[in-house]
Amino acid sequence: MSQPNVTIRGPEVPNTPGSLDPVFTVEDLSVFYGDYEAVRNVDMMIGRREITAMIGPSGCGKSTVLRCFNRMNDLIPGAHIKGKILYHDENLYGDHVDPIEVRRRIGMVFQKPNPFPKSIYENVAYGPKVNGIKRNMDTVVEEALTKAALWDEVKDKLKQNALSLSGGQQQRLCIARAIAVKPEVILMDEPCSALDPIATTKIEDLMQELRQEYTILIVTHNMQQAARVSDRTAFFTAEVDDAGVRHGRLVEFDQTTRIFTKPSDKRTEDYITGRFG
Amino acid sequence: MAVLSTPKSAVQLASKGRPLKEHLFRIALLSSLAIALIFLGMLLIYTLEEGWGRLNPMLWENMPSIRRPETAGIQSGIFGTLWIISLTALMALPTGILAAIYLEEYADRGRWYNKIIELNISNLAAVPSIVYGILGLGIIARWLQFGFTVMTGAITISLLVLPIVIISAREAIRAVPPSIREGSLALGATQWQTIWRQVLPASIPGIATGSILALSRAIGEAAPFLMLGAATLVRFNPEGVWSSFTVLPLQIYNFISQSREEFHVLAAAAIVVLLAILLVMNSVAIWLRNRYQKRW
Repeated sequence: MSQPNVTIRGPEVPNTPGSLDPVFTVEDLSVFYGDYEAVRNVDMMIGRREITAMIGPSGCGKSTVLRCFNRMNDLIPGAHIKGKILYHDENLYGDHVDPIEVRRRIGMVFQKPNPFPKSIYENVAYGPKVNGIKRNMDTVVEEALTKAALWDEVKDKLKQNALSLSGGQQQRLCIARAIAVKPEVILMDEPCSALDPIATTKIEDLMQELRQEYTILIVTHNMQQAARVSDRTAFFTAEVDDAGVRHGRLVEFDQTTRIFTKPSDKRTEDYITGRFG
Repeated sequence: MAVLSTPKSAVQLASKGRPLKEHLFRIALLSSLAIALIFLGMLLIYTLEEGWGRLNPMLWENMPSIRRPETAGIQSGIFGTLWIISLTALMALPTGILAAIYLEEYADRGRWYNKIIELNISNLAAVPSIVYGILGLGIIARWLQFGFTVMTGAITISLLVLPIVIISAREAIRAVPPSIREGSLALGATQWQTIWRQVLPASIPGIATGSILALSRAIGEAAPFLMLGAATLVRFNPEGVWSSFTVLPLQIYNFISQSREEFHVLAAAAIVVLLAILLVMNSVAIWLRNRYQKRW
């Protein structure tokens, strides 16, 4: 096959499938909006302190799947799932599970930076505050901003409105805001699609730093980005069933190196070589 | 090949003259605006001219009288209006804002009962104020035996402005982008925390503006009070919520019904006072909107 002209992360994760230390185990997950089955039968595992990228053409359900991991889909009337997502050993959709508790452990960064119309400080302090943390707020804020590689740029203007920051800074502020709650996992829904290339590079570098401490799932439209930053890649596509209804399907899930060099599925190969999508 | 004449450009950018239609449309727009402004100006000038002679401190220092127009004032009307509006604000604003929060943040729009509620709030906003007067008279004054008191008036006016408060508060709440709610919920905030700490602070300027405009509409109401069988001549200020009262529009109505010319001058002066109160309230609304307007 023709090689896509992209940089691919080295094989930093072990090759043997058994060596994946799962934070999430997705078992036969289907997502519905009312009667419509948006995504069908997904099985995958998310490894601890790895970056897992979810790629695929528009409408393939990758964002839908991402939003299942912190139960953000619960907010859409009529949305429900079949199958299981195990977070460690616990089913995220179990009867006694509180979605609020889920979101405290599994943070999220959105496509468009969405800082609150408050000061930079207040943005970062908000998560800890609603989670009942009151003491040492200055330290919490500084730590989160430092980890998000934003501290040096904003330390002298913490009282300024967050909306006065540039788009890239706003997105790093949103990452800091998520980190401040001390989550285990950070979900990123196309975090760079609204940013320029320089801001994008900064976020990608930041992801590599965060990977030391957090498990990251990223949905991206940008294949090069998936190749550059991720350890494993899940390729989704949309398929039309016999009744003419479109469903999102997981085609292939493997180490990023393999997905981009020797994918086992023809559809993956077509997509990454640019013949489709 | 030498080009001697001006080359004819491929793109035609030269003015062809604006079509007549465009001019006519502009004129129609401007004259509509002019009609509104001219009438407002005429009203102001006429009232000021008419009432100028009585725009002196006696107007707000003295009580009304139907015997001595030269010294009569409107103090009881001013105080009555202030009492009614304050009490109305206390009752209608919290209720209206909470109702708006329910409809925007909690109600499932697909449910039939929520659709009925929504439809009827719009209907209520269009009900003539005199109908609220009948409601106040029948239920609050007579059945609940609140009589013609500040409380009865305020409850009636609260019901009158409630739909308007709800509608404007809903618009303000809806203007807060969904991404703010998502951002807050994704950090593990509860729905109530999200509403209380993000949605409400961001929508307060809009809610305040709408509420003030709703209240300033209520200030000008006379019909419901007439319906309640209000005394038009009250020579004392309200002392509490169970006191009887009059309001400025009723006072004005009473002065105009008198045959002596001096009372008409007095009425005009009272209208100037009423307009001044309205202008102050509307200015506060505009100031609030500009001061706290959020840009996303």
